[in-house]
Amino acid sequence: MKKLLVAGLALASNLALAQEKVVVYNWSEYIDESVVEQFTKETGIEVEYATFDSNEVMYSKLKLQKGKGYDIAVPSTYYVSKMAREGMLQPIDKTKLSHFGNLNVDLLDKDYDKGNQYSVPYFWGSTAISYDADTLSEGEITSWKDLWDPKWKGQLLLTDDIREVFHMALTLNGHSGNSKNPEEIKQAYETLKSLMPNVLVFNSEAPREPFLSGDVSLGMNWNGEVYMAQQEGANLKYVYPKEGAVFWVDSFVIPSGAANIDNAHKFIDFMLRAEVAKTNAEYVGYASPNSAALPLMDEDVRKNPAVFPSQDDIARGEFHHDIGDDAMKLMTEYWQKLKAGM
Amino acid sequence: MKTSDHSGYQGSAIKKLGSVLFISAVLAYLYAPIAVLVVNSFNSSKYGHSWRGFTWKWYEKLLNNGNLMDAFWHSLTIGLLAATLATMLGTFMAYALYRYKFALKKATSGLLFVVMMSPDIVLAITFLVIFMALGIHLGFWSLLIAHLTFCLPFVVITVYARLNGFDGNLIEAARDLGASETRTFFSVVVPMSMPAIISGWLLSFTLSLDDVIVSSFVTGPGYEILPIRVFSMVRVGVSPEVNALATGLLIFSVALVVLAQLILKKGKSQ
Amino acid sequence: MDFRRLIISVTLAWLTVFVFLPHMLLVGTSFMSPDADHLVVWPTTLANFEKVFTPVYFTVFWHSLELAAIATLVCLLVAYPFAWLLSGFKQRTQAILLFLLILPFWTNSLIRTYAIKIILGKKGLINSALVSMGILDEPVQLLYTEFAVIFGLVYLLLPFMVLPLYSSFDKMDTSLLEAGKDLGANALQRFRHIILPLTMPGIISGCLIVFLPAMGMFYIADLLGGAKNLLLGNVVKNLFLVARDWPMGAAFSVIMMLMMALLLLMYAQANKLVSKKGGLNDENL
Repeated sequence: MKKLLVAGLALASNLALAQEKVVVYNWSEYIDESVVEQFTKETGIEVEYATFDSNEVMYSKLKLQKGKGYDIAVPSTYYVSKMAREGMLQPIDKTKLSHFGNLNVDLLDKDYDKGNQYSVPYFWGSTAISYDADTLSEGEITSWKDLWDPKWKGQLLLTDDIREVFHMALTLNGHSGNSKNPEEIKQAYETLKSLMPNVLVFNSEAPREPFLSGDVSLGMNWNGEVYMAQQEGANLKYVYPKEGAVFWVDSFVIPSGAANIDNAHKFIDFMLRAEVAKTNAEYVGYASPNSAALPLMDEDVRKNPAVFPSQDDIARGEFHHDIGDDAMKLMTEYWQKLKAGM
Repeated sequence: MKTSDHSGYQGSAIKKLGSVLFISAVLAYLYAPIAVLVVNSFNSSKYGHSWRGFTWKWYEKLLNNGNLMDAFWHSLTIGLLAATLATMLGTFMAYALYRYKFALKKATSGLLFVVMMSPDIVLAITFLVIFMALGIHLGFWSLLIAHLTFCLPFVVITVYARLNGFDGNLIEAARDLGASETRTFFSVVVPMSMPAIISGWLLSFTLSLDDVIVSSFVTGPGYEILPIRVFSMVRVGVSPEVNALATGLLIFSVALVVLAQLILKKGKSQ
Repeated sequence: MDFRRLIISVTLAWLTVFVFLPHMLLVGTSFMSPDADHLVVWPTTLANFEKVFTPVYFTVFWHSLELAAIATLVCLLVAYPFAWLLSGFKQRTQAILLFLLILPFWTNSLIRTYAIKIILGKKGLINSALVSMGILDEPVQLLYTEFAVIFGLVYLLLPFMVLPLYSSFDKMDTSLLEAGKDLGANALQRFRHIILPLTMPGIISGCLIVFLPAMGMFYIADLLGGAKNLLLGNVVKNLFLVARDWPMGAAFSVIMMLMMALLLLMYAQANKLVSKKGGLNDENL
């Protein structure tokens, strides 16, 4: 039995080596399949597409496998800095990326990866406030502070994401959303404690759902979710709070143990082409960081604040970066207290 | 209690009606969500909160979505294999625990409970570490071993409960008549425990089809299964293609059973 | 190799490699120190266990226990009559009904949970039906309540209760019931002294395979209950994946399993007591 097993394994890995390939680790449905086919047709490189359902799982798996097994991964903002710091990524050779210039410079060279040494933006978005315009009037909600109004008792939605919820409280208190300061985090916890009576639901699977089912009419949300709900005919509005929204970027990275580094670069460069980026953006529904793709898109998509924020909104907002494990542990502790009602 | 004592014909008719009603009510509870997703697989609305017209488009999309279909077939393969192997191994284990005295017997049943109590994440991470240490390729084999292992206790407990109520004399009688242990097992024990064996298989198949956490850790890029893909859709919203897929599976399973019934009937009447 | 040795050694070998070793790793990790870059490092420490015994986790444990117990009880109350009635049908009908019972569970649970949300939501099927029939004036909050959580847990776990019960009803010797009847036992007596003891193995195993997984379940409870309460599963996930404090996550899991084992022992003890107090079992026969 064991011999057979070993033989089978050897055969499988031999077959795999025979063909040029690139192994992509990404969210499912986060790419238009026709684009992948086109890539294979043009380059002859086979694409193996594997999916993960949270950054945490993707990170832990790569960590345990010492960065091996995948040629490209698509972590969100602060995971890029964390993984880079821990030596899980390898620098991307931008001389191999002929279309790197297509990217929007506003989204490059951010704190989480200075000089974009390790990451190439793929999609980006924000976490801010959304409300149901059938129940609330325009201008009623302008800031994070408005969520604390006692009249929303038992009615709000928050995302089920520790960093995002703490980010909101930290900015409300006038601190950086990336604060590592234990005092500031504690203060944010106190602030959030007073928000808890207003919360009906935490949801990070599909924050649009409680809005669509009529259970919630106000709360935190992601821009892409609001856009999807709008496509469904829901009268949802998206507001960038005046204290500043949370911004995030999903980027291509190359893990340190990648086996097909050249192919990974080819794949990333292909995804940076204007038409390819446009096709993907239309399929996915999130904002593309590809400036060259913008003119190719529909005007109502380009002008929709739920897809593309204004220059001002971006300037006021903040991108997540890694706050280190100690601060993260502290936040997790407070988070558990919040949920346990303590 | 409905079992009244001097129930005549009428009493048993009422009883029959009662039991049909109760069973229908439970099935209605189980099928209400299924009905919603079957209806929504034909709904043009993507998130299915209201009816927005009939469409086949999710089925068309599904058939063109090679990745999703691959994942589905992988899931089915792993589910069938893991359930079958877990049922075989689990039945052996249950019998060993029931019939034989051996060193570490207590530890054996303890370990089976550990599998059930262990949080998914713990199983996932420790399996991954063990597989990497043993050099087991991540993909088909690692998935199969992991699924088989977490299904085991469900089979053992179900089969053991059935064996436990048995008349042990039957086994002794078979032995006295000269049947070997192996023979006794296959011609006495297995037939007697059949309902429990089938139950164990069904539970295992169900568990395997629905596992996400363990699978996302132990699988490799070449072998993706459906639950991972479905959970991973959170980024862009779960597509009704999945409803279409579920509907397809439903129809396929029902058709299979109807066919089997027809064949059975035909076999009997001849 | 004879049959007996074969099955015992396969059992032991499998469980050692794929259950014992992994969990020894877990126990080992629980005594190590956390580290940001390498997850787990020397030296050994007891600090992880100290951190586990905090009031927050007590609340979490209690809440999970409560939820799992209620779900198990409701499952039993629904599944017991279901399995009983089922065993009264013809063999063919039984098979078909069992198939119908399990069929919904071959659809991904996330998808079914979304469907449950569509049913329970404020604009959902139940609310719209009740409002349009004039029974309610305005929709009531069904989702994101304890009710929704129990509704979902029972939904998910029901077959795990029905199947073991069914296999113990199926082997029930109806001649015993007849005998009881002839001896003048009424329906309640027959139930208490014949049916209940005979189906006890099914009840015990059904409760086990519903309760133990229910203790660790959190995904469905989060989706339907609004994730406002922490369950054991959430804590384990947070410790391992979000806070990435593996030693502490390991310590928490070890303690959690020990507590569950304790419950299990109490349960086994209680079962022994119950079955000793009369009823039809080996000793009394």
